Amino acid sequence: MRNFLIAAAVLSTACLETGTALAADTYTANVRQVIDGYIRPATSAFARQASALPPTIDALCTTATAQTKEDFADGYRDVVTAFGGVSFLRFGPTIDDHRLDSLAFMPDARGIAQRQIRRTFAKKDPSITDPDQLSGKSVALQGLTALQLIAFNKDGDVVLGDPGEDRDYICSYASAIAQNVDRIATEIETGWLDEDGYSARLLNPGPDNGQIRTSKEAIETIFNALVTGLIIVKDQELLPTLGSEIKKAKAHRLPFSRSGDGRAYLIAELQGIETALRAAHFEQNLDEEFLWIPDSIHFEFANGIANLESLDAPIRQSLKNEKTYQKLTLLVITMNSLRDTIALELAGALGLSGGFNALDGD
Amino acid sequence: MPWTATDRTPFSRRAFLTGLGGLAVLAGTSLNQTALAEGLLDRTQLDVPLFASPRREADGSFTLSIMDDAGQDIARVPLPGRGHGMAVSPDKNRLIAFARRPGTFALLIDPFQRSEPQVLSSIPGRHFYGHGCFSADGRLVYAVENDYEAVRGVIGVYDVSGREIRRVGELETGGIGPHDLLLTDDGKTLVVANGGIQTHPGRPREKLNIDTMTPSVVYLDLENGDLLANHALEKDLHQLSLRHMAMDSMGQVWVGGQFEGDLSLTPPLVARMTRDQAPRLTEIPGPIASGLESYIGSVVANASGDIVATSAPRGGKVMFWSAATGELLGTQNVIDGCGLAPIDESAFLISDGRGGLSYLEEPSSYPDVLARPAGVAWDNHMFAL
Repeated sequence: MRNFLIAAAVLSTACLETGTALAADTYTANVRQVIDGYIRPATSAFARQASALPPTIDALCTTATAQTKEDFADGYRDVVTAFGGVSFLRFGPTIDDHRLDSLAFMPDARGIAQRQIRRTFAKKDPSITDPDQLSGKSVALQGLTALQLIAFNKDGDVVLGDPGEDRDYICSYASAIAQNVDRIATEIETGWLDEDGYSARLLNPGPDNGQIRTSKEAIETIFNALVTGLIIVKDQELLPTLGSEIKKAKAHRLPFSRSGDGRAYLIAELQGIETALRAAHFEQNLDEEFLWIPDSIHFEFANGIANLESLDAPIRQSLKNEKTYQKLTLLVITMNSLRDTIALELAGALGLSGGFNALDGD
Repeated sequence: MPWTATDRTPFSRRAFLTGLGGLAVLAGTSLNQTALAEGLLDRTQLDVPLFASPRREADGSFTLSIMDDAGQDIARVPLPGRGHGMAVSPDKNRLIAFARRPGTFALLIDPFQRSEPQVLSSIPGRHFYGHGCFSADGRLVYAVENDYEAVRGVIGVYDVSGREIRRVGELETGGIGPHDLLLTDDGKTLVVANGGIQTHPGRPREKLNIDTMTPSVVYLDLENGDLLANHALEKDLHQLSLRHMAMDSMGQVWVGGQFEGDLSLTPPLVARMTRDQAPRLTEIPGPIASGLESYIGSVVANASGDIVATSAPRGGKVMFWSAATGELLGTQNVIDGCGLAPIDESAFLISDGRGGLSYLEEPSSYPDVLARPAGVAWDNHMFAL
């Protein structure tokens, strides 16, 4: 099956290049549907949540109470959840100007952010408390991952605003981060809404349009980002968290697990990738014999999300529990299967190509 | 195979130098700014191992990127087209990056002394194959080239010790389609993998002699160009294009191939040899072999030279071999993983076409993703500086 599909992909690509089988705008409707049906609403939702975060920090840093702490933690979770819906859109306005790295420095296997924060705190460097100056600093200091490190302790409690020698300094830094995140989220939203911006390049492929010369290249940009998103969930988020056995599990390697939002972020990523895929309406491009593929994909997504929803949260606390560990191990299998169905079966049926080295090595 | 066709990059040396410029040291990422004085890398401040690899950027342009051992970008040099392999000078201070075949440019880069790269173009009637190496004293660079009208493989010899790069001679490789090459530890012998495939830039990336190809690994005396040894595989493996190589701590040359025959077959893909000992093929267990599409991308030894890694990007796998026994120690899954570099005493850094840079402690541990620059696709080969 797999070889057949690859052969099919090769054949249709060859046809495209000789201009006989496919029109130049074959995939433009899919591209338009993903932009309007997913990317723009998702980046707007993220911008909306990001703009709601700074006031919760102001309130918490004015008076730290159980309520202001809870409001901040809720606001942070909302931003992280909305971020999970856009972080896999690793192209165009989302990644220009290091935006994605500035929003969240991930992966960070070597603890670079923690080290830089310590060094900066030791010097009491005032520049990180000013949002404008912060935006010129190391990306590891700028975003939601840095905010998580200073606002939550290892048990997931909010410590921002607690009494202490550095309280005001840390509060000002947290506020600067939230404003920086708000600014970047707005830039991403605006960039995607711009009818003459990157969207126009995806929608009007041509020989003078940089790397997007055909509608196939435009949809491949989107499609490959969704596949990369699945690979990130598995290879970069789940596998380091699980380690080789339960004794070697490292809950801190799960993104946003310190704040207790690891599960919410994973669900947001899976829901986002699935919704973006649905928005493309690839079933319109598929011959009848391939219509089982989207059904199979959505069945797998539903399994994965239901699995995550059944977990005892927060994963930071429950990972050493056999049941949680097994469920996440099962999720790895689901992710493998999803990746294969999308990157091999669906891509093959649609005539799209994926690998950089794999398809065109040397 | 037309779907692999890529345009042959028209390349203007002047336009490149005025339009793109040289080394850009990256500010605003996650860096220690003191290491970046005056737009050059300062090795005294950069007290970490460095790595380099060509890559495709999010905007579709091609660069050579220099990273630290945490996978963070440190500097970048624009390339006029897609890169492939490179050579690192013995003192580790300079590197020369070659165009992917059938490209015609190479860039000599000195990230610690000067920001402007020196640009080298292949002579008329030739193109580069993507690999090269320095001489033991660092004065010369050997570059594999295609003399395509004469259908012969050539090693161009370049003097890179002066202000201008000069072509000072050439050696015959005794085969067609030379791809990777190695200098032996005594600095006196070149080992060259003749891939065996005839190509012509007029028909970019088309293979013209699949039925008659005869790949080989040759040992050449650098003093006089004499052919010291010529290793070919058995006749039934004549379609296994021998392309990428590494040397282990025992002086064995490991070579990985790409099979041009029937893809439903699963021939051996990796062999080891010495000058005096004919190639010994390794065994890849059936279930693994069937998923590799008979294609090895990179071959690299770890720093201690006791483990050799071979990547199979079409199968999304990296295989690890014992240098001592030739047995398969393990495999790891890395989607579109191709570039390999030695890191620390015995570990590997693995790069992939989806931007991932992973650290693999040992063959049985999982590849831990250190960094994944957004929108980036790492190209076939990565090197430790």
